Amino acid sequence: MAAAGCRLHPACRVRAEKFGLLFYDMRGPRLLFAETGRLMEPDFFQGEVPVDAFLDGLDNRDRTRVRGLLAKLREKGYISEQ
Amino acid sequence: MGLYAPVNLTWEMTQACNLKCRHCLSSSGHPAPDELTTAEALDLVEQIHTARIFQINIGGGEPFMRPDFEEILAACHKRGIMTCISTNGTMLTKELIDRLAATRLVNIQVSIDGAKRETCDAIRGKGTFDAAMKALELLAPVKTIATSMNTVLTAQNANEIPELYDMAKSMGVSLRVSRFRPSGRGVDNWDNLRPNAAQLLAFSDWLARSGDVRTGDSFFSLTSQERQGLGLNLCGACKLTCCVGPTGNVYPCAFLQSAPFKAGSLRESTFQEIWDNSAIFNSFRRLRIHSCEDCRRYDQCHGGCPAVAWHLKNEISSGDPECLERCVTTIAEEAKNAEAA
Repeated sequence: MAAAGCRLHPACRVRAEKFGLLFYDMRGPRLLFAETGRLMEPDFFQGEVPVDAFLDGLDNRDRTRVRGLLAKLREKGYISEQ
Repeated sequence: MGLYAPVNLTWEMTQACNLKCRHCLSSSGHPAPDELTTAEALDLVEQIHTARIFQINIGGGEPFMRPDFEEILAACHKRGIMTCISTNGTMLTKELIDRLAATRLVNIQVSIDGAKRETCDAIRGKGTFDAAMKALELLAPVKTIATSMNTVLTAQNANEIPELYDMAKSMGVSLRVSRFRPSGRGVDNWDNLRPNAAQLLAFSDWLARSGDVRTGDSFFSLTSQERQGLGLNLCGACKLTCCVGPTGNVYPCAFLQSAPFKAGSLRESTFQEIWDNSAIFNSFRRLRIHSCEDCRRYDQCHGGCPAVAWHLKNEISSGDPECLERCVTTIAEEAKNAEAA
């Protein structure tokens, strides 16, 4: 992913839960439970945070987890790259 | 894994309705005494926003009967809350649809209960088929409103569901099929309108082949393996969703809007307090249908719809009497009895 932010699709929403992040897609509707703990905040998906810079600040294990989540969100249409 | 708030909220905004459908879950017609005022409704919208609930599914009654409905909708949309409006379509005009379309946060379900005029009108009242079709024709070309036909499956229209699907497809809208449950006027008309086991089984088979038909969480107790990935495998009441009635009472779901299931009143507590602390909600979260645990389909429906069990057996933990497994058993028993006779 380029050094750009991620933005939710207009039909999608995200909020913090105890387990991490809960994504909602009105088009299904469908849900995606992301067990990220406190690794990421919902604000990450407002498109303002450069993804590369965010990933650089993580250790290898968390970087892999976040990359996996972003790939899944992109594949399922929850997010787009800026 | 308890959520901080529901994913979506069913808000039965009024009991006022210009129709008197035979299956109406809330016996709508006249407004309920002491419905939420505009100020109270707007305060609830703010609470929903604070709780970060994603979507409000708005029903009634006919929500457009509320004179302040657009004001309440505007408050939702200003806060980015998605809305899905269930309507009979009789009050929709092009001007109103244009205003709703501009928000890009509205889905609309238009109720229609048969592919044939006489089938629909016999359930919903004279002229309802034409009114619904007119509303759907106005909505279909509007790209920013996801529109669906919403049909309650009954004995009378069970054979017309594939035709409704074709109608929806040809119009460019989707089909949503809902389950008929014995609440409201549905209690009085249960024996006449309820689909029989063979119809439910045929519908289940058809649904398995029709992946783009929406059902909400209506039919998880009938859902075959082929469709499992598309929806829930258990009742979402008090876990993912709940219901606010016209006077601000909060319930597990729209089909359990009665005193034994009242979780609280928004006139006495905040929504968040009720979600977090209600004894009724906590009991639903712990509910396990033990009598179904040995069933081979338990992991696929977890005992089915507690509301149907309550209305038919007066016991929420007794298992859904119309689940897929019971339909198969009923048909087998009927065949055996017929052979013996």
